[in-house]
Amino acid sequence: MLPRWVTVAYLAYLVAPILLLLVGSFGGLWLNTLLPTGFTGRWYLEVAADPSFRRAFNASLFVAAATGAACLAIGLPLAYAVFRAQSPAVRAAARALYLLPIALPALVLAFGFILVFSSDTLPWLGSIWLLVAGHAVLCVPYFLQAVVTDMQRLGLATLEDAADSLGSRPLQRFFHIVLPALRHSILSGLIVVAALSIGEFQFSNLVAGFLNRTYPVVLLQAFYGATGFACAATVILLALALSASALGAWSAGGAATLAFHRR
Amino acid sequence: MTGAVTVEHVTFRYPGGGAGIFDLSLEIAPGELVVCIGPSGCGKTTLLKLIAGFLQPERGIVRLAGEDVTGASVRSRELGIVFQAYALFPHMTVGENVAYPLRVRGIAPTERRRQAGETLELVGLAGFADRLPAELSGGQQQRVALARALAFKPRALLLDEPLSALDAATRVGMRDEVRRIQRSQNIATLLITHDQDEALSLADRIAILREGLLVQAAPASEIYDRPADGFVAGFVGRANLLPGEIAGAERVDTPLGALATPPHGKPAGERVLVLIRPERLEVAPAAGAPNTFAVEVTHDRFFGATRQLDLACRGARLRIETLSRGDVRYVRVPPEAVQFLAPT
Repeated sequence: MLPRWVTVAYLAYLVAPILLLLVGSFGGLWLNTLLPTGFTGRWYLEVAADPSFRRAFNASLFVAAATGAACLAIGLPLAYAVFRAQSPAVRAAARALYLLPIALPALVLAFGFILVFSSDTLPWLGSIWLLVAGHAVLCVPYFLQAVVTDMQRLGLATLEDAADSLGSRPLQRFFHIVLPALRHSILSGLIVVAALSIGEFQFSNLVAGFLNRTYPVVLLQAFYGATGFACAATVILLALALSASALGAWSAGGAATLAFHRR
Repeated sequence: MTGAVTVEHVTFRYPGGGAGIFDLSLEIAPGELVVCIGPSGCGKTTLLKLIAGFLQPERGIVRLAGEDVTGASVRSRELGIVFQAYALFPHMTVGENVAYPLRVRGIAPTERRRQAGETLELVGLAGFADRLPAELSGGQQQRVALARALAFKPRALLLDEPLSALDAATRVGMRDEVRRIQRSQNIATLLITHDQDEALSLADRIAILREGLLVQAAPASEIYDRPADGFVAGFVGRANLLPGEIAGAERVDTPLGALATPPHGKPAGERVLVLIRPERLEVAPAAGAPNTFAVEVTHDRFFGATRQLDLACRGARLRIETLSRGDVRYVRVPPEAVQFLAPT
């Protein structure tokens, strides 16, 4: 009986803020009452009409997509290298190194970026690519973790040995065995990356240039204005994060299926 | 006649340890099934990896049908390998798994589907082509692994503890299946196992490894009847092993007492290891007759057809396998049951 009540209480605690956001985003006036009065869709229209929110929306989508691509391009070979390393010491060291960004506050990374990229030799602060680079550093560990764990679970080394013995060349092994066998973890890794990138605030707030601020950065300012506007803007962020995850899942699924059916 | 697989004086050491295999030579004739057996860590899987090409020997030569393949890639050796955990590709159907070696050889889809179907039929899995490996039982997965390893007509078959992951009932049935399939393809095969029953029932020849050394390679009956030493005697089948000293032309002193033996031609005073197989000991009705000893039963195991008893006799331990259901108070050692091995 008790576990059930704990579960219910926890779920309520989890869902209540989201529900309140939804209520607030459609509410007319919300001042000192428990719930807002009136029903309106105008907050959403206002957010949609706001140019800085529109730009931030697009910037966030772009950064998330580019971060996902970077994770694939960097993370997959890295995961493979870590997994196939002969020496256990090398594996442990590599693991500690690539998990480091999880332990490090994003703030530290941001300060580092500001120091390095505000200099005259590397004056790239404010570029959207710098934002992508930072997000990639923050997200790659999560992607690696998902993929390396799956490689171990599958016994990928033995699968490759088997393919080798059956006459498969290294490149064939990668496209026929490694990539399709890992498609589920690549997919879930990309979902996590998309959600993290969309929601990232600490780093983006310090490093993003004025013209390519991401959605959460712009969102902060909404709370200085009308409550309904802020609620609607936040609900949009929520929807954005969820749909980015779905998109990541769908595209990765598509890529894996494509690789799988390549003959 | 050249062996299908030949290993000549091969030495391999794992870095930073005494483990490996040392100056090992072994030949597998075309169509022959050699079972390599030994305790864990004896080097049997290392031997398989050296033949397969996953490891390279420090010294020595690996040949396939006479051709030196030492240093050649795994892929180029064209050996069918069945891995302990099968290593079926989880994202491919059974048919795609079996057709995979044909696919990488550039055979057209319809043709490779046909060939894969034939191979699946051979292992008794016709009609399973569209299933995923995860939907099959352990025994069926084992058959798929075997079919995949055979699909490209390999030069030899290497099986790494292929039956160890199966439950006891399936294992015995699969043993006969492996033998039947190997016979029908007439393919030289090396099977690694730690299960002596598997070795005895499957092998044309058994190769026994211990600490990286080949102790004996011979047909099963010879391994059992004329083991090279006490280790082989104890490892394959059950054995009573007693230290002894030759006391005369037809006598040996053991902890049991003096034993009459067939004429052996060994000099008096030589130290030997006396082997008596448990099934050759006899239950005796009374003391007094030669080679008969009073015993005390310490453990009695009933197996239906036979009974296995542990006996204590003058501080020595004996094991007897008998059909008798009655009390065991005396046992007789028939002189012809006494064998001599070199002391270890």
